[in-house]
Amino acid sequence: MATATNSSTNGEGTGVGWWRRLRISPKYIPMALLTLVACAFAIGNPNFISPYNINTILVYAAPLLMVALGQMCAILVGGIDLSVGGMISFISCLFVVMVPRIGAWAYLLCLIVGVVLGTINGLVLTRVRIPSFIATLGTGGILASMSMLLAPVPVNVPASHQGLLVVVTGSYLGIDNSLYVGAAVFLLFYVILRFLPQGRQLFYVGSNIRMAWTSGVNEARIRTLAFLLSGLGSALAALALSASQFGSNPYLGTPFVLASIATVVVGGTALTGGAGGPFNTLFGALMMSMLQNGMNVVGVDQYFQQSILGLMIIICVGLTFDRSKTPVIK
Amino acid sequence: MMPLDSHPAEAPAPSDWSFEELRRRFRRTGVSGQILTLAIVVLVFAAGTAGRFLSVPNLQAILSDFGIPAIVAIGLHQAIILGAIDLSVEGIAGMCIVLVGLLVRNKYNQGDIGLWILPVVVAAGALGGLANSLVITRLRIPSFISTLGMSWTLYGLAIYVNKATTIPLLDERVHDFVVGRVGGVPNIALLAVAIALAVQVLEDHTRFGRYIYAIGGDELLAGQAGVRVNRIKMQVFTLAGAFYGLCALFIAAQLGSAHPRMGNNQLFPAVTAVSVGGVALTGGVGGARNAILGALIVSALNNGLVLMHVNPFIQQAVNGVVLITAVAVTMDRSKLGFIK
Amino acid sequence: MSAPAPLTPALPTLALRGIRKEYPGVVALDQVDLDVYPHEVLGLVGENGAGKSTLMKVMIGLVRPDTGSMALNDEPLVLLDPIQAVEHGIGMVFQEGCLIPNLTILESLFLCHELQFRRRGLLSRRAMREEAQRVLGQLRLQVDVETPVDEASPAVRQMVEIARLLWLSTLYRQQNPILILDEPTTVLNDEERATLFETLQTLKQRASVIFISHRLQEVVENADRIVILKDGRNVAELVGAEAQAARIEELMVGHTFAADRYREHEQYAPGTEVVLEVRGLSKTKAFAPLSFSVRRGEIVSLVGLVGSGKESVCRCINGLERPDAGAVYLGGEPIRAGSPSEAVRRGIGHVPVDRRSEGLALAMSVAENINLLVLDQLKVAGFLAPRLETRNARKWIDGCRIKTPSTRSLCATLSGGNQQKTVIAKWLSSRVKALVLDHPTRGVDVGAKDEIYRILRGLARDGVGMLVMCDTLEEDIGLSNRLLIMKDGRLVKEVDCAPDRKPTPRDVIQHIV
Repeated sequence: MATATNSSTNGEGTGVGWWRRLRISPKYIPMALLTLVACAFAIGNPNFISPYNINTILVYAAPLLMVALGQMCAILVGGIDLSVGGMISFISCLFVVMVPRIGAWAYLLCLIVGVVLGTINGLVLTRVRIPSFIATLGTGGILASMSMLLAPVPVNVPASHQGLLVVVTGSYLGIDNSLYVGAAVFLLFYVILRFLPQGRQLFYVGSNIRMAWTSGVNEARIRTLAFLLSGLGSALAALALSASQFGSNPYLGTPFVLASIATVVVGGTALTGGAGGPFNTLFGALMMSMLQNGMNVVGVDQYFQQSILGLMIIICVGLTFDRSKTPVIK
Repeated sequence: MMPLDSHPAEAPAPSDWSFEELRRRFRRTGVSGQILTLAIVVLVFAAGTAGRFLSVPNLQAILSDFGIPAIVAIGLHQAIILGAIDLSVEGIAGMCIVLVGLLVRNKYNQGDIGLWILPVVVAAGALGGLANSLVITRLRIPSFISTLGMSWTLYGLAIYVNKATTIPLLDERVHDFVVGRVGGVPNIALLAVAIALAVQVLEDHTRFGRYIYAIGGDELLAGQAGVRVNRIKMQVFTLAGAFYGLCALFIAAQLGSAHPRMGNNQLFPAVTAVSVGGVALTGGVGGARNAILGALIVSALNNGLVLMHVNPFIQQAVNGVVLITAVAVTMDRSKLGFIK
Repeated sequence: MSAPAPLTPALPTLALRGIRKEYPGVVALDQVDLDVYPHEVLGLVGENGAGKSTLMKVMIGLVRPDTGSMALNDEPLVLLDPIQAVEHGIGMVFQEGCLIPNLTILESLFLCHELQFRRRGLLSRRAMREEAQRVLGQLRLQVDVETPVDEASPAVRQMVEIARLLWLSTLYRQQNPILILDEPTTVLNDEERATLFETLQTLKQRASVIFISHRLQEVVENADRIVILKDGRNVAELVGAEAQAARIEELMVGHTFAADRYREHEQYAPGTEVVLEVRGLSKTKAFAPLSFSVRRGEIVSLVGLVGSGKESVCRCINGLERPDAGAVYLGGEPIRAGSPSEAVRRGIGHVPVDRRSEGLALAMSVAENINLLVLDQLKVAGFLAPRLETRNARKWIDGCRIKTPSTRSLCATLSGGNQQKTVIAKWLSSRVKALVLDHPTRGVDVGAKDEIYRILRGLARDGVGMLVMCDTLEEDIGLSNRLLIMKDGRLVKEVDCAPDRKPTPRDVIQHIV
């Protein structure tokens, strides 16, 4: 039986009803709030907006942006990638272990591994047909333990090979290379999503998968692509992180599951899929980095920060979730 | 709009009919499939270890390892019967472990409430579960992200309060209970079985239990038949939280110290146990007996892998594969259109 | 008729007066009155969209009427939800059933009313079983009450729902409950149907039954009174000798036929070239082997009632369902079955009945929706070119006269008619060869309807073959070159609809019901 359909939905249906009266789309609220917080930090401590600090914020944001762009792709198609933590740990340890052995080819190897692992996630979702959150929970766990297999203790890139890391650790024209790399990755994802048909199809699939399917879009392939991109994002982040730290450890990726989801959601991309995009995620990464930096500057305990992130995710999802898409919320 | 969406969205590539039939039967039967699986696991490892697997000390080890994950699984499975999920065990347990560290006699402060810690920790866990349920029902946020977010939030709080220190506990009584045995059988295992029995009775013979299955079967129809859906959800998540709190106490007592990190690595085995036990993620099927049997199978499996000197990290990989397989086999795909 | 028509007592159990219900773009019910007397079987008939289901939803509290009143035993009644309706003795058995699949029959019977079976704090299954046997026994149903609902046959499930409603009405002390049976016979075989009709007679002694069915003969044989709805209004009430199937048909469809409402003057006379063909297509339990073809520029209408199988035929053509036998041919070449992407690639389009859930990505822009199928053609050097995208979108927005402030407006902001035109534009943009349209003007205002007819006529001139299923028989007749009538899974008749020699709905309805 249908529930009484007395109200006509206007199809937008995002977020909590009472915000509609204000005529602000609720997905802008996280951004607005965080902009306010940024101003508060700046007022509270002028060092916050010093060039040095801004550079710190940007450098921290770069790898976060990379993994978040990947996570965004998974979320855009209505799924989620909980394996990014394990993937980053595994790929970064792989990189550090392989650099002394195959030199610069380690970069390529890790990118390929990331793409392959992401594709596996996608195939488990579309062929074995298991919800992405369980599938990636499983693969993430497997990868986390495989990183411990690879590097039971923290490993470092030997000094002889540290020259290969200059693509991330060096600087050019006074700006850290990692920012250039971050910008390049952003550009890559932007081009894929905006200018390639497959990228556009990610949005169709996420917005209305049934419509996409009946219109002939190969939804299985597109969703596999989404998780492939997520794997790519994790791999890029892993490379950036391990290069900048000259080494890695098997727990490197753990905080990034939470951080990447928070970044995507705070930026305004809805978990329901089909809405949002790279600019949202860019904004989210900058905000998250700024938030973290600001909290450190102000002296908020590091662990309390995690709680704040957790709460932020709940609130932001609450505001952006498109409840008109499902009749019941499970 | 049609009741009982009898033409579920035609998902692409319908699977082979007879395989689907097999899976339906697997899902429906109480536990015959699980008992069979357990038997196979036992046989394989008994053979592989030339009988060492079946030695009394080893069986005791299996039972004592299975106790705590079993209770977590019992807490978790009702949310899954509802068709939702509860990923918050690590956060709630972390928070409750910190409470244990604060209140039980220890080296760092004056706390010493002795056995009163039991109701306290259960109540605290219940509160955590209640918070989960409020986020789900009032804020209408899907359970997987709300329980996940709540877990992270509580865990962060726990570490913050606890300042990331490990607090050695001096009150031995609960520890003695956890490691003790009655007639050779570890106490914790007996407790887990007792809890499972009680919960099973709750599920079979009370309205609360039947309503959980009704919601899992079809939430819309259940609501229209008069089931107070939100209230049942609140009760389920609160009860789950209470169980997690109880486990937190046992975890801390077993190790003799309290650090919120000790609650980690409880989620994965519990979800695996529940799925292997036959509680389908799609909801509406399974019960406490499934949860506990699943926990036993997982415990036996891991014990066997250790005995056979399998690399611990391969073990984790095996668990991951088992989880994915169990979910794949038990899910009722006709309920979902496109799987996300 | 079942028995000599009882003398209708002066007081109806339930009286509805002046019920009006409007949805955006359509008036579902317009000043409808209905009386239900005690101990009677009332037949309710009407075409699809006549308002029957909306009226019943009002009766059971699922939908609140905009105006109008209800009275139960002469006392005003306002229903807020179906539970309240059941407490007042009014309940409905939906065609698809309302039982929760994983519960047992036992649990379904007493769901939410188990308090009386509590012994020492726990539910006594034994007590429940005894009561269940008794209740089901009254309907002469023998079944293992521990069977899960999804393992029980539709006939059994129906009986269980009826039994539940009766039991609840006794619980709430309602003297003459009203049971609404919505198309109960569609899912039953002959034997089960006979049992149902026997049960109706038993039920009559303690309840009133509203019997909705499109099988007029069944209604004539089992109902004491028959009420006919058309276009959301009362048309007639028949008792006794008047109640003959032929007369009912007549009243259901009416005599009027608005001239040129469907742009018949633009109707294109197709040539002989076949663009879409179906040979020996069949699907068990949906439709028997059938064959037909659609020529270039022809509009063919698939006509039939719910359960005739026409929707399934269309789904098979579009690849959304896999047929069990036969094949679909486009331009003479067979199309791989069961694959929507294959059908789309070859040039068969699909305008779904529910544009919101199946037709559009509401959160995306009009341009993005229109361009979905032709992205590969809008590229420059391998990348999508915004310039080309806008140009293509603008072309079809203008061509279909879609009213939107900008190509980048979200589809969610468009009116129903414009949304529908967007869906059609998407297919036009990809130059389909054949188009299947599932109720193309549903929920669309009159002005937009005319524009959609214009678009379809234009498509016909361009050589696209179309297969449509319309909301009303009039629309089917007015729009198409040919009618294909389906009944109970079979293609039973073909009727020609040349513009100057259109059949009237009356001529056609007799083949449908």
